[in-house]
Amino acid sequence: MSMLDDVQRVLISEEGLHTGIDAVAGEMNAVYSDEDFPILVCILKGAFMFLADLTRRLTFRHELDFMEISSYGKGTTSSGAVRILLDLAANIEGRHVVIVEDIVDTGHTLDYILRNFASRNPASVRVATLLNKPSRREIEVPVDYSGFEIPNEFVIGYGLDYAEQYRNLPFIGVLKPEVYEQEPEDRVKAVPVSRGGLSVDHGRAVPIGPDLR
Amino acid sequence: MSVPIPDSVDYVLLDEATIQRRVQEVADKISADYEGIRNEDFLLVGVLKGSFIFMADLSRRLTVPHRVDFIALSSYEDSTEATGAVRLIMDTRTDVAGRHVLIVEDILDTGYTLRYLYRLFGARGPASLRTAVLLTKPDRREVDVPIHYVGFSIPDVWVVGYGLDFSDRFRTLPFIGALKPRVYEK
Repeated sequence: MSMLDDVQRVLISEEGLHTGIDAVAGEMNAVYSDEDFPILVCILKGAFMFLADLTRRLTFRHELDFMEISSYGKGTTSSGAVRILLDLAANIEGRHVVIVEDIVDTGHTLDYILRNFASRNPASVRVATLLNKPSRREIEVPVDYSGFEIPNEFVIGYGLDYAEQYRNLPFIGVLKPEVYEQEPEDRVKAVPVSRGGLSVDHGRAVPIGPDLR
Repeated sequence: MSVPIPDSVDYVLLDEATIQRRVQEVADKISADYEGIRNEDFLLVGVLKGSFIFMADLSRRLTVPHRVDFIALSSYEDSTEATGAVRLIMDTRTDVAGRHVLIVEDILDTGYTLRYLYRLFGARGPASLRTAVLLTKPDRREVDVPIHYVGFSIPDVWVVGYGLDFSDRFRTLPFIGALKPRVYEK
């Protein structure tokens, strides 16, 4: 199967993911109660699979909402400003909010979302991310619940894509460098200018860690 | 860490294992039907919020490559369910023209919403257009709409869980339960 041919190696197996998500859910179950009735905000598209598995493990009453964002042109701006394609359906004023992300990378996008939410006067805002790449951080952001800390490698699967591919892999894999280093004509055509709901800078083909060489 | 059954739920209609088994079967059928397709040619469109859990479980069981996209709908405040008038809050980011499109929905009820989506995408020149629904309530159908893949045919009871809600509640249950009538009748 061609999808699997592009995977250099499995970084986190399906079972590993479920163990990590169990742990995140356990931490959240210990913190929140039915009375808190927090609202979990899924940042599309990348976090949808994580949210689907996380939400089913939570024992406290909670609400779900979705936000889809897109970067302006290529990469991230220093302000981290993103275009909000789909805003929250709910008013979060006075509510406890948990932002659900697939990956925290440089932190710019998350920082922007946090500032945007702060202006709406929620009771509290916390961040739950499946993956955390602290080595890439350019701005300090709070990460309250994190499934896995990972090295600076190009990861795909379980919601994370490269050019809208590999999102559906049930594990987290490392993409073969030749896939994103050379872009044949047909692949270039398939690459959208704006990226999915991932941390906006995630999909850039640079920089790559020396361990990928 | 098992999720308790809320008081408002009368009984479990479909348990977790039953849902997972059936989603696998639906995924196998779709993988067989679309075998050999290229990633950029196959687009799954999930309808928020209800279908995201079904989408997550279906998508990762497909052995054929595909793109995933979401749309968000809202009903007009002054419209009744029967008119089927819906407002598109967020469109797909992917151009559907020339692509094989599979609409992924949690439940097919009267058929108005799915018919709206079928017409919306049909007008955009997809290479093909099909629908996959987890649940169908044939007793409630008011308009004909083509269904190509279906998980379960269920009786006319108010179901919650696995993405389905009642006033934004119970959406996150890992199973599908029938709501007690007193909850929605009051």
